[in-house]
Amino acid sequence: MRAARLWPYAALSAVALLSLAPLLYMARVSLGQGSDLPISPADWLGRPFTLEHYRSLWSGGPMGRFALNSAIVSCAALPLQLLLASAAGHALARSRFIGKRATLALATAFLILPRQVTLVPLYLIMAKLGLLDTYPALILPHLADPFGVLFMSHYYQTMSAELEDAARTDGLPARTIFWRIVLPLSGPGLAVVGVNGFLTTWNSFLHPLVLTTSESMRTLPVGLALFAQSEYAVDWGALLAGSTVATLPVLVAFAIFQRQIVEGVLQGSGR
Amino acid sequence: MRAGRPSVGLLPWGICFAVFGLFPLLYALLLSFQDMNPLRPDASHFVGLANYAHALGSPSFWHALRTTVVFVVGTLPVTLVLAYGVAALLGRIRRAQSFFRAAIFFPATLSMVVVSLVFKSLYAEDGLMNGWLAASDLARVHWLQDPRLALPSIMAMDIWASVGYYAILLLAGRKTLPVEQLEAARLEGLTAWQVERRIVLPHLQPVILFVVLLNTIRSFQVFIEVFVLTRGGPLESTLTLVYHLYERAFYHFEMGYACAIAYLLLALVGVVLLIQRRVLRSAEVAA
Repeated sequence: MRAARLWPYAALSAVALLSLAPLLYMARVSLGQGSDLPISPADWLGRPFTLEHYRSLWSGGPMGRFALNSAIVSCAALPLQLLLASAAGHALARSRFIGKRATLALATAFLILPRQVTLVPLYLIMAKLGLLDTYPALILPHLADPFGVLFMSHYYQTMSAELEDAARTDGLPARTIFWRIVLPLSGPGLAVVGVNGFLTTWNSFLHPLVLTTSESMRTLPVGLALFAQSEYAVDWGALLAGSTVATLPVLVAFAIFQRQIVEGVLQGSGR
Repeated sequence: MRAGRPSVGLLPWGICFAVFGLFPLLYALLLSFQDMNPLRPDASHFVGLANYAHALGSPSFWHALRTTVVFVVGTLPVTLVLAYGVAALLGRIRRAQSFFRAAIFFPATLSMVVVSLVFKSLYAEDGLMNGWLAASDLARVHWLQDPRLALPSIMAMDIWASVGYYAILLLAGRKTLPVEQLEAARLEGLTAWQVERRIVLPHLQPVILFVVLLNTIRSFQVFIEVFVLTRGGPLESTLTLVYHLYERAFYHFEMGYACAIAYLLLALVGVVLLIQRRVLRSAEVAA
């Protein structure tokens, strides 16, 4: 190949290296010993590999609890988000009612709204409901997210209604039609909503920071950020081990659902 | 189909959206006209526009606003140009495109806390950045402790974290380029640069507009980076609007004032988006 054809590859290799190097560095420090930072690449590679930081994270520190909280919140929010998005998306796509346009407009406006606007009221509402520092406080705000509903509404609009109409003519109740016919056909759309919803919930920071008060309720991002400000701030090995743990589910989701993540980004799921 | 009542399927989400979406939005507006301290909820009272007047007369607010604007204006064009370049490169290659795309996009899916922690360790006094400087016999730099450098350090990190995200959007735009028109232009002897300027750029105009708007919205909300790396310091040099809002609401319990800041942020982002849309649309017509 001529040089003219090769240079984009060379340039992209440099960009790819630049974008992955900090993450390889994170994983490397987390697998090292002690709390010192490596100061040169040679220093990086030379050191022995151990699981020391992961072991101490799990046994001693609260990081295991933070990871568990993140997992509970994400796993509880995900099926609820999918169900709400498909039910509401289907309703918006298939039925006509007064206020439908207004609902769609409001939901779309909410997509681009800076979320910090609702931060203080959500805190006060959760306090009033006695939900501060509980899992529901961390889950419920995610269920209001309009992205899944808008995406599924669009998905159902492009899906033929023939099967549903035939089932209705046969006298099947709407609920049966939804569970037996609509949901089984929703897979590709729900994959987009699901993976983007999962990433948003898993990485969520500002709301969990404000809505939790005790250490045992913190999620992984909040726990890590506050840990970094404590007196342990110099323990980079532990911090980057925790960061690696926070990254692994994202990596797995990315490996399986990269196409769906991109699709979500293109449709405006941007956090 | 007759117009009538919505199917019950809308209800579960509708209720959540109303309670945890719309209601907080309106409640924030109401709160912004009140003096509200959650430690003394009974003492909260209506103060009219006092919170807004307080914000607009407060040096801290203007300082936070200026810091945020510097952040947005400093990162947005750099991110856009780099993302455009990366997307153009990705569009040129045939082999291994999916590998490069994945490698470049992946950081954008990470938690900003993780990104900030990694960079905090890179920027540390005894971190890799200073290690490199020392290896080249240069003096150490206080990346996050020097008031002149802290904000640029955060901005550099933010650019690193978001180039891939916007490159993917721009790459998707390039997938719809008019292939025949490009071929014809090349046969006419136009250089790659001329093709890019005369055909590709105008064609990508709507995607570029989307990228600029999205990046603006996201950048005005910068918070996590500041929370993890500098907590607004040193000497308030990285105090952004949302960090200011957070401090007012949850350290000083000035909930009403914080809501006024939130609504000023909302209005500001709205105005900036409208201006950008108008400017970029007219650029499109001119092109």
